[in-house]
Amino acid sequence: MSMEDYDYLFKIVLIGNAGVGKTCLVRRFTQGLFPPGQGATIGVDFMIKTVEINGEKVKLQIWDTAGQERFRSITQSYYRSANALILTYDITCEDSFRCLPEWLKEIEQYANNQVVTILVGNKIDLVDKREVLRQRAEDFAQAQSMLYLETSAKESDNVEKLFLDLACELIREAKQNKLDNNDTAPMPGEGKTISYLNCCSLN
Amino acid sequence: MRSRDSVPAANMAAEELPSDFDIVILGTGLAESVVAAACSRVGQRVLHLDRRSHYAANWASFTFNGLLTWIEEQKEESKPEKIEDWSSLVEEGEELIHLSNSDPASITNLQVFSYTSEEEEADEPNTIEEEKAAGEDAVKESSETESAGSKEEEDAGPAEEEEPAETEEEEPEADQPPTSPPSNQSEPVRKKISHAQLVKEGRRFNIDLVSKLLFSRGSLVDLLIKSNVSRYAEFKNVTRILTYRHGNIEQVPCSRADVFASRQLSVVEKRKLMRFLTSCMEETEEQTAYSGRPYSEFLRDQQLGESLQHFLLHSIAMVTEDTPTEEGLASTRHFLRCLGRYGNTPFLFPVYGLGEIPQCFCRMSAVFGGIYCLRHSVHCLIVDKDTNRCKAVIDSRGQRISCSHVVLEDSYLDADRKRTATPPRYLSRAVLITDASVLPSDPDQQISMVTVPPTTTGGPSVKMVELSSSTMTCIPGTYLVHLTCQSVGSAHEDLLPVVTRIFRTTEPQEEDRRPSVLWCLYFNMADGSALEVEGHRVPSNVYVCSGPDGALGHEHTIRQAESIFQKILPEEEFCPPAPNPEDIIYDGDNASPGEDRAAVENGGNQEENQEKEGNQEENQEKEGNQEENQEENQEKEGNQENQEKKGDQEENGVNQEPEE
Repeated sequence: MSMEDYDYLFKIVLIGNAGVGKTCLVRRFTQGLFPPGQGATIGVDFMIKTVEINGEKVKLQIWDTAGQERFRSITQSYYRSANALILTYDITCEDSFRCLPEWLKEIEQYANNQVVTILVGNKIDLVDKREVLRQRAEDFAQAQSMLYLETSAKESDNVEKLFLDLACELIREAKQNKLDNNDTAPMPGEGKTISYLNCCSLN
Repeated sequence: MRSRDSVPAANMAAEELPSDFDIVILGTGLAESVVAAACSRVGQRVLHLDRRSHYAANWASFTFNGLLTWIEEQKEESKPEKIEDWSSLVEEGEELIHLSNSDPASITNLQVFSYTSEEEEADEPNTIEEEKAAGEDAVKESSETESAGSKEEEDAGPAEEEEPAETEEEEPEADQPPTSPPSNQSEPVRKKISHAQLVKEGRRFNIDLVSKLLFSRGSLVDLLIKSNVSRYAEFKNVTRILTYRHGNIEQVPCSRADVFASRQLSVVEKRKLMRFLTSCMEETEEQTAYSGRPYSEFLRDQQLGESLQHFLLHSIAMVTEDTPTEEGLASTRHFLRCLGRYGNTPFLFPVYGLGEIPQCFCRMSAVFGGIYCLRHSVHCLIVDKDTNRCKAVIDSRGQRISCSHVVLEDSYLDADRKRTATPPRYLSRAVLITDASVLPSDPDQQISMVTVPPTTTGGPSVKMVELSSSTMTCIPGTYLVHLTCQSVGSAHEDLLPVVTRIFRTTEPQEEDRRPSVLWCLYFNMADGSALEVEGHRVPSNVYVCSGPDGALGHEHTIRQAESIFQKILPEEEFCPPAPNPEDIIYDGDNASPGEDRAAVENGGNQEENQEKEGNQEENQEKEGNQEENQEENQEKEGNQENQEKKGDQEENGVNQEPEE
C-alpha cells in the first residue's frame, strides 16, 4: 500500500488486563473473525484497517500488547506516539475493572498528553455473568474524562462503532490542532523511523 | 514514583510463570534484549526477566522524578541477601549456583547538585505559570537534594587541587539565597526555571544513564533496519558537531556542505580539508608509511594548519594524540562513510532517549512469543554436575523453571565468577539540565555532539551530547547535557573542570553568556568493555552480557549479542526481518505463524535496495568532492535549499497525518 492511499494515519494502542479480549476486538474489527480459543498472535505487531469517513480515507494501525501485560511489563515505548488508547476491561471480571486506575497511571506516565482514551467494557454477550454495572463504569469513565463503550467481540456488538467513533474523534482533533496551530509543545511522532530518514537523504 | 512500583503484588500473583523454556534471560540491558529478540524471532521459547521495576538496566532512561527515585535507590545500603534453602528442588547429581540480586558495584560516586531556587519567585516576571500546584512536593524534594549536594560538596572539595583558583568561586553554593537577577538589556531574557517546575514537568524528561549515539552506518542501525525493530522507534539527526577549543565552543565543519558554508575556515583551509577528506578514503602509500606512528603526527605533516588538525583528530576521528595512524584513519573513514546517509552529521539519536532501544528489542521478542516479567528475580541456577550445564533456574518464589540456555547480565554473577580487566575500569558521567545551548543558534532545536579534548595532558577527553527538547528528553526552554569520559578519578573530579569552563553554576554575572546549570548529577558506572569475553566460572550454556561501554557507538554490545546468539543457535540467522504487518496474508481462521512468515514478502530486498542507495550517495559525494573548486556561493545556496527541503519532510514524519 503506498503512502497516498489514505488521508490520515492513526496509531491506536490497546491496553488492559490479560484475557479481557483485546486481541479479539482487533481481530473482529480488522478481519471480521472471532477466533475461539485463539492463542497468542505470534509474529503480528499491529493490524491495519483503512476505513472511509465522510469521504476521507483513514488508515488505522492497531497495536496489541504482545502479551507483555500478563506480568505488567509493558514497555514504555509501546505507548509512545499513540494517537488513541483503548483501555479494555471485562464486564464479567471485577478484577479487570479494579486494575483500571493502575493502567491510567501508566497512561499518564508514558503516553502523550493529547492522547484520546476510550474505556471499553467487553464481553457483553456474557450478560448473566456481569460483575461490573454499566452505570459504575460510565461514572468512572466520566470522572476520568474518557469516552465509554460496551462491546462484544464475539457478537460483533459495537466493535465497528468503537473504532469508527475513535477515528472520527481523532480526525476532529487533528483538524482542531491544525486550526489552533499551537506548537508550544513538540508532538510525539515528530521524529522519523529510520526508513523515513533514509528517504530524506536521497534529496 | 514510577507507577509500576505501586502495582500491588496481589495482581501479579494471579498468574504463575510457565515452567519450561528454551532460553532464560536475566536483565533487560541492550545486549540481553537483542539476544532475546534474536532467539524469539527464530522460534525459541524465551523467558526474559529483570529484578528491577524498569526496563533496560543501566541503559535505562528516566523521567526527572524517576531519576530522583533511582538516585535514592542507589544510595540505599544493599540488604544482606537472605539465602533460602532450595534443596528440596534440587535433584540427584545437581548443584546450585546462587545469583546476586542487587547490583552495588556498577554505580558509584553519585553526587547531585541543584542550582535552581527553592522558593518561587513571585517577582520574577519570566517565571512560567502553573508552578503553584507542584510547589509543596517540590520543596520537600529539593531540600533533600540540596542537603545531599552541599554535604558532598564539602567532601569533594579538596580533590580539585589542580583547578585554577577561579573554580573555587564557581563552586556551587546550593543553599545560597537567590540574589536579585542582574539587568539583562541586550540579551534575550532566559526563562528562569524552578526546581518545582522540573519536578512538575518531570515526566517530560527522559534522562539516559548512558550517553551514546547511533552511527548511521553502525552495527546498531544496520541491525534495527535488518530486523525491522526500527519500526518501534523514531530518530532524529544529530544536527551539528561542535568542539571546545581555546575556551570557546566552535562548530566543526564535516560534511561537504558544512565545509563550504563554514565562516571560520579560510578558502585555503576549505580546499585543504576537502582534499584531505577525499584522499583519506583510499589507502595511499603515504598513509602506510605512518603505520604505527601517531595519527596526530600524520595530520601534522599534511600541512593542514592547527584548526583543521584539531577538527580531524578530536572531532572527526575522535581519537587521542597517541592513537596510531591506521586506527585514526579507520575512524575518520567510518565517520565519513556515516556522513550523509541521514543528514549532515554521521549520527542519529532516538526520540525519547536511548532507553527506548532495548525496549524495542524486548517488544520484538514479545511479538514472537517472548514472556516478560519485570520485578522478578532468579535466585539460583541448577547445574548438572556431570555435564556442567545449567538445566533450570529457581525464581524468587521457589519455582523451578527448566531451560537449555541462560543469558545473564554480569551483575547477577558474584565477583569471583566473573573475569574482568584489572584494575577495574569505570566511566565518569555527568548529566546536566541547563537553560541554554552551549552554542545558541537559530533555530534553537539543535542536537549537538561536542568533543572536548583533554584539558590537562594525560587527562581524559570528554564526549558531550547536548539534547534539545525536540528529542523529547527535556522540556522546552531546557537542554539536557550528557558528559562521558573514561574515569581517572571520580566522575565529579573528572568532569567538574569541563562543566565549570563551559557552564555557569552561579548567579549570572554580566557578560557571562554561558548556559546556567539548573540541576546536575555525577556518577561513575562500571565500563562494560572491561568484562572479558571468555573465562567466567559459569556452566558452559550460561552466557554473560556486559553493561554499557564508554565508546560513542554500540558496536561492542551488538557484537557481543550476536556472538552469544551464534553460540546458542549456530545454525540460525541473526535477527531476520520480521514480517511487515501490512504484508501478512491471513489464511482463513487459523493462520499458523509459520505460514504467515513464509507468506510474507519480507524486508530482505528492501535492505539491499537501501544499501545500493547508500552506495550511490557515497559515489555522489565523492564526485562532489572532486568538484571542490566550485564557487562557494553556489554551494551555500544549494545547501540552504537542501535544508529547507529536509525541514519540509521532517514534518511528514511517519506518525503524523499527511497534509491534505
